[in-house]
Amino acid sequence: MSELPLNDAITESTTAIQVRNLCFNYGHRRVLNNINIDIPQNSISAIIGPSGQGKSSFLFALNRLWEEIPGSRVSGQVRIRFDNHLVDIDSPDCDLYELRRHVGLVFQAPNPLPMSIWKNIAFPLRLAGKKNKTEIDNRVEEALKQAFLWEEVRERLRDDARHLSGGQQQRLCIARALILEPNILLLDEPTSSLDPRACETIERLLIELQTSRTLVMVSHYQDQVQRIASHTFQLADGTLQPL
Amino acid sequence: MNQCFEKIVIAWCWLSTFLLITAVGVVIGFLVIKGGSALNLKLIFGDTAPLDALLLRRAVFDGLFPAIIGTLLLVLLAILMAAPVGILTGIYMAEYASLSVKKRFGFFFDILAGLPSIVVGLFGLAIVIFLHKYISAHVYPCLFLSAMTLAFLVLPYLIRSTQGALEALPNTIRRTAPALGASRVQNLFLILLPRARDGILNGVILSIGRCAEDTAVIMLTGAVAMAGVPRSVFENYEALPFYIYYISSQYADQQELLSGYAAAIILLCLCGLLFMSALYVNYNFRRGAMNRV
Repeated sequence: MSELPLNDAITESTTAIQVRNLCFNYGHRRVLNNINIDIPQNSISAIIGPSGQGKSSFLFALNRLWEEIPGSRVSGQVRIRFDNHLVDIDSPDCDLYELRRHVGLVFQAPNPLPMSIWKNIAFPLRLAGKKNKTEIDNRVEEALKQAFLWEEVRERLRDDARHLSGGQQQRLCIARALILEPNILLLDEPTSSLDPRACETIERLLIELQTSRTLVMVSHYQDQVQRIASHTFQLADGTLQPL
Repeated sequence: MNQCFEKIVIAWCWLSTFLLITAVGVVIGFLVIKGGSALNLKLIFGDTAPLDALLLRRAVFDGLFPAIIGTLLLVLLAILMAAPVGILTGIYMAEYASLSVKKRFGFFFDILAGLPSIVVGLFGLAIVIFLHKYISAHVYPCLFLSAMTLAFLVLPYLIRSTQGALEALPNTIRRTAPALGASRVQNLFLILLPRARDGILNGVILSIGRCAEDTAVIMLTGAVAMAGVPRSVFENYEALPFYIYYISSQYADQQELLSGYAAAIILLCLCGLLFMSALYVNYNFRRGAMNRV
């Protein structure tokens, strides 16, 4: 992430994401109001709260995906740690696409692309301009192993990814987000459409991933949050409070 | 009460579908019964040997062959002119235009779609007269200007179908690639357009049909009764819908009227052929999509 400007060097801090005075508007409706939080490195931070309160919007503010949503507007400051430095993601010098490759996002519903398993996982590498087949092969295998999916799909990498089960599809989406080795992984209710067994596998995966990454997860399940989250924040009436 | 209402709605849907299919069947059946007997190689090639006509070695004077070629060239040329402009405008409207631009432009495109084709034909004729008077005295009504006017006629269908197909894509698909670091152009070409392809193709098929059937535009901008196979796009040409129109209004005997019905069957088959070609291209794209990133 050397392309990103060094806005501040807070090397002694362990903060991965620093949010200050964040406001999020959809048209004239204010969804998030003056949010101030610090999310520590190598942890799972869970955001809980009723539906429609702006939990997903909060995640979209962290990788600037809100810019793809017509009518949305964000103010305030979000700084994210890259190479031991906190960087303002709205800085004009901050490359948007580079940012999104380093702050991965997994959506609520599994969204495999209409192509093979291998091509789904390799897709972000192709977007980033990687062409070396051996390197891509190695990184696809590594990402699938990280997502606990390699053993289940190693014989069928050329099959259509949409033929996998719901749980496998979601792990495929996590693997696809992991292939670019993001420092931060955002997860928008990653287990909401899965059965208990698939949930359990994903939870084990997330616990494993937090040793090397910072995870921010939106969840509706109190028991799941208690099981795996290191920090919990409640979103209500547009504000985010630690629990 | 609710159940009863639901049954009525379902029955209504079935009945409407049945009526529509029956109407299509009746039209095609009527044409086949009326024109089937007149449909033969002589009607198409006249006294010219089919092979000589197909290889353009000898001109066909008393057959529909020049009209078939004229219609085919007209449709292909019009679609080639309209598709790039229409599809790119549709992409702009769906992906880049602001809400107010969408509203204003959308309103104009809807007006354009509602214009009677005779009005568009008059517009084409006005252009021909303008070009003839102010640009070059050698400009006359011709295949190229007909195709250009037809392209103008079908533009709104292509724009609206492309825009509609792109806007109908769910947000989960729309946001997948950007979340993985794709630029807007990468997202458009790698994800959105391939997923919207069926909808865009519907617009192209609709446009093919519209170009193939329109008579008002071509009779004002270049179609004539006798011209032979055009040697260039800047010449007059014959076209099937124009032939059907003038035969049905000025037939001398029953046999001539029957040849009009037979020409209608040929026009239907020609449209079918063009639709099938469009679907075949789409099928090949779909097969290829699994192997592309």
